[in-house]
Amino acid sequence: MTETTVTPERPLVVESGELKPGFIGQNVPRKEDKRLVQGEGVFFDDVKRHEMGYVQFVRSPYAHARIKSVDVSKALELDGVYGTLTGDEVAILTDPFFELSTPPGANIKDYALAVGRVRHVGDPVAAVVARTRELARDAAELVEVEYDPLPHVLDGEESLKDEVVLHEEAGSNTVWSGVFDWGDFDAALADADHVVRIERLHFDRFSSTPLECSGCLVEFNRGTGQWTIHGNHQMPGVGAIWMAPALRVGIDKLRFVSQDIGGGFGNKITLHPQYTACCLLARKLNRPVQWTEWRTDQHTANTHGNERTFLDVTVPVKADGTMLGFSVRAIDDCGAFPRYEPLGCIIWAQVTPGCYRWRNVRVDFTQVCTNKSPVAPNRGYSRMQHLWLTERIVDIVASELGMDPIEVRKKNYVKHEEFPYETPNGCIYDSGDYARCLDIALDLIGYDSLEEKRRDAESRGKLFGIGIGSTLDSGTNNFGQSMILNPELQFSGNNEVATVKLDIFGEVVVTLGTVPQGQGHETTASQVVAEILGCTPDDVNVRAGHDTYWNSTAGFSGTYASQFAVTGLGAVKGAADKLAGEMKQLAAAVFGASPDDIELVESLARIKGNPEAALPFMALGAILNANNAGLPPELDITLNVRHVYRPAFEKPDLERKFGNLTLTYATQIHACAVEIDPETGVYEIVDYAAVDDCGNRIHPQIVEGQVHGATAQALGAATHEIFTYDEEGNLLTPNFYDYHVPHALDMPPMKTGFIESESPFTPLGAKGMGEGGGAGIHAVCAALQNAVGRRGEGPIVWRSCNPYEGVWELLQKPDETRKLVSVESR
Amino acid sequence: MKVAGEKQFEAPPDTVWQVLNDPAQMAKTMPGVESFDIQDERHWRAHVKIPLGLGGLRMSIDFEKVEEREPDFAKLHAKGNGVGAVLNMDTSFNLTEADGGTNMKWEAEVHLLGPVASMGQRVLQPIVNQQVSHVLAALDKQVQEAKAG
Repeated sequence: MTETTVTPERPLVVESGELKPGFIGQNVPRKEDKRLVQGEGVFFDDVKRHEMGYVQFVRSPYAHARIKSVDVSKALELDGVYGTLTGDEVAILTDPFFELSTPPGANIKDYALAVGRVRHVGDPVAAVVARTRELARDAAELVEVEYDPLPHVLDGEESLKDEVVLHEEAGSNTVWSGVFDWGDFDAALADADHVVRIERLHFDRFSSTPLECSGCLVEFNRGTGQWTIHGNHQMPGVGAIWMAPALRVGIDKLRFVSQDIGGGFGNKITLHPQYTACCLLARKLNRPVQWTEWRTDQHTANTHGNERTFLDVTVPVKADGTMLGFSVRAIDDCGAFPRYEPLGCIIWAQVTPGCYRWRNVRVDFTQVCTNKSPVAPNRGYSRMQHLWLTERIVDIVASELGMDPIEVRKKNYVKHEEFPYETPNGCIYDSGDYARCLDIALDLIGYDSLEEKRRDAESRGKLFGIGIGSTLDSGTNNFGQSMILNPELQFSGNNEVATVKLDIFGEVVVTLGTVPQGQGHETTASQVVAEILGCTPDDVNVRAGHDTYWNSTAGFSGTYASQFAVTGLGAVKGAADKLAGEMKQLAAAVFGASPDDIELVESLARIKGNPEAALPFMALGAILNANNAGLPPELDITLNVRHVYRPAFEKPDLERKFGNLTLTYATQIHACAVEIDPETGVYEIVDYAAVDDCGNRIHPQIVEGQVHGATAQALGAATHEIFTYDEEGNLLTPNFYDYHVPHALDMPPMKTGFIESESPFTPLGAKGMGEGGGAGIHAVCAALQNAVGRRGEGPIVWRSCNPYEGVWELLQKPDETRKLVSVESR
Repeated sequence: MKVAGEKQFEAPPDTVWQVLNDPAQMAKTMPGVESFDIQDERHWRAHVKIPLGLGGLRMSIDFEKVEEREPDFAKLHAKGNGVGAVLNMDTSFNLTEADGGTNMKWEAEVHLLGPVASMGQRVLQPIVNQQVSHVLAALDKQVQEAKAG
């Protein structure tokens, strides 16, 4: 491991001349920023076509109802309305999207528009296309839908009873259920000196909110039968896999194009229903159609993060604070449709023991549908909920047994010298030093003066608390884990693609299979290519965005699951290595030398030790592409190479639910200090530190940006971002009036630190990162707990989101939550 | 949402009953009525523009008198459809003679569904309270006019 010092303050812009030899690990200027700050980015909504129509969805006001009739005639009478689409048409023209689950979830029929029944407020019933967006909205108001209301269910535990069933064809609200049992939990329980029981914990429903809502412009080519989708889907490979069979066409009939995307966070992975509706409309109306989601629709009817209830948590603990494992019953609420589910039922298992050396874990996991918006991956997908549980366990156990949560963490953390570390379910944690990260975080917030700060706060009538959150940001999925849920699925491994070529004028051109949404892929790809080819990042043109016609995409190409630094840059490195080899072969042929004698430096291919014998890249490009007569016939090169990077995964053991589910494990350790006004419950985060370890950092400034973003996501989720429904199933937080996303001014004073634990498993020693926000959610919960409770006394912070009124309630009725926890000491 | 209250009228119960059971007179008490159609003595329809927070919500509301015990009790169901909103309301009143006038106990259960309900929930209660006071004042006026003949 290489360890660097904590450097909370770094220059935002690297001045020219500061660059050290080599570009990996340097803060080179971001290639994307110039066009973005000058307003020259091209987002899907910037793409216009002649005579295009605007799409407006007609949405259900009911949480659950039968559709008796849909009458679009009045809308069609309006001048400027081009056409409509209804669920009945969708049911004829398409097949249901395939389901990932085994039965009963497999029997659910999910279409682009509601067919026969609506299952959540906002469920799209019909679509209208008109000359302007406003006219489409007006016309949608004229669509008359007659409903027959049905009883609804909004709570995951209630849904389990199947008294109200959302999907008749499935016959049950349960999408998937299974028991995961690793180690020997019963023996651990028998061996424990203390058993801590937590009756209930709840991870609230929230979502990341991209600045740019979802949308697309879809064109249909009648001659070829192909659709071109200018959109902001962040995982188009999977989008096509869902859409093409539903539309009864081959995957190549769907071309996905994007340049700039204003954030994704997972919300833009499950856009296949809306995109399919737009494809049908473009074909039906023979004109391009454009759909831009309204913010209210994004909140009401796009996707949320998974809501999860943890019941009957049981934790065996030794007298010295060693935790032997835990058992829990988890109920995951995926909303009305399992659009990306039940993958969330296994993704959490990538981080089964969290950061800890727990060897005995039993998880009884059930996922159910409710009459709420569907869920989708949300930055930290499924692991965030589980890691919050593991952290909550550590803090509650430490508090109830009168132990220092810092010491309990250090005692139970996986030790630096134990890496690579195999978890009880066969995942391999590649590298890290959690205790060191924790020490840095504590140092940054001045943990040594904790009691002094507490006294000071108390002298002002405030309650003071400090809390820790530890997160693993598992990256680069082994898709084979989905087979643990459904052995019929034909998924295993992972891959990503890049192409690199040297053009006739010596320009290095890179195409990526990924779909960047602000992560700086052009910049980091250029750093890697420049380092390998011996040129500068300025010499490398990384094509902006994504286009499936570039032949640089694989089945699951996209930007998700913290993997670009591994799979994306692994593909770039592989392609650049191949190109470098070809360039050396060409130069060697010209010079009559061996390729081993050639080096690539300063945008030249030259003979080592003889700087005068040098060919500029332009000459290489020109020779191969234009002046190639006379080249040796055995020289089989193109200077245009494609590389597929495949991590070395094996299929999991399905019987034991055992295997390496993810390649890398980045870490974030957060520390938070809060002051609470006990009269009102209003609290302030008065100090905050985030320490990151994502292996070798390609571009430290981009990493730091991700740490800041993940922290903002966490603080919003911990303090006030929550999707609340009323008893009728209406979402009460459908826009930014009611759903407050942290602004810059909401952010606390924040200090950052880092270490770099090189991954032994990846091409660049880097790890995927960016989804470490779960640490922050728990850091706030733990700080609140520390402020309001003591050993055996006071309320228990049992929910992930604790707005001021929630904290006030905790303080007013401590017994209501105190009874959730019990300790059996032997 | 449930709302309930009492109202005193300086008129005998049969006068109040007459006003409350005359759709045409009741239409004059409702806020934002743009048109009103009486289908029969138990069913009528109103097109209204309900002031709701950031803008008016246009709705077509079907009223049905579901229970009637002349001269003191009636129960009414209303179902409204608007853009992005569905309104369901059950309301009833009970009249008793009091000090030469009439005491009316009333209650209503209002359910607003759909996106408008999502956006308007935060402001719904004060708006309903305000509209109820308008309706009651208008009703008082109608009763006085009926009493005066």
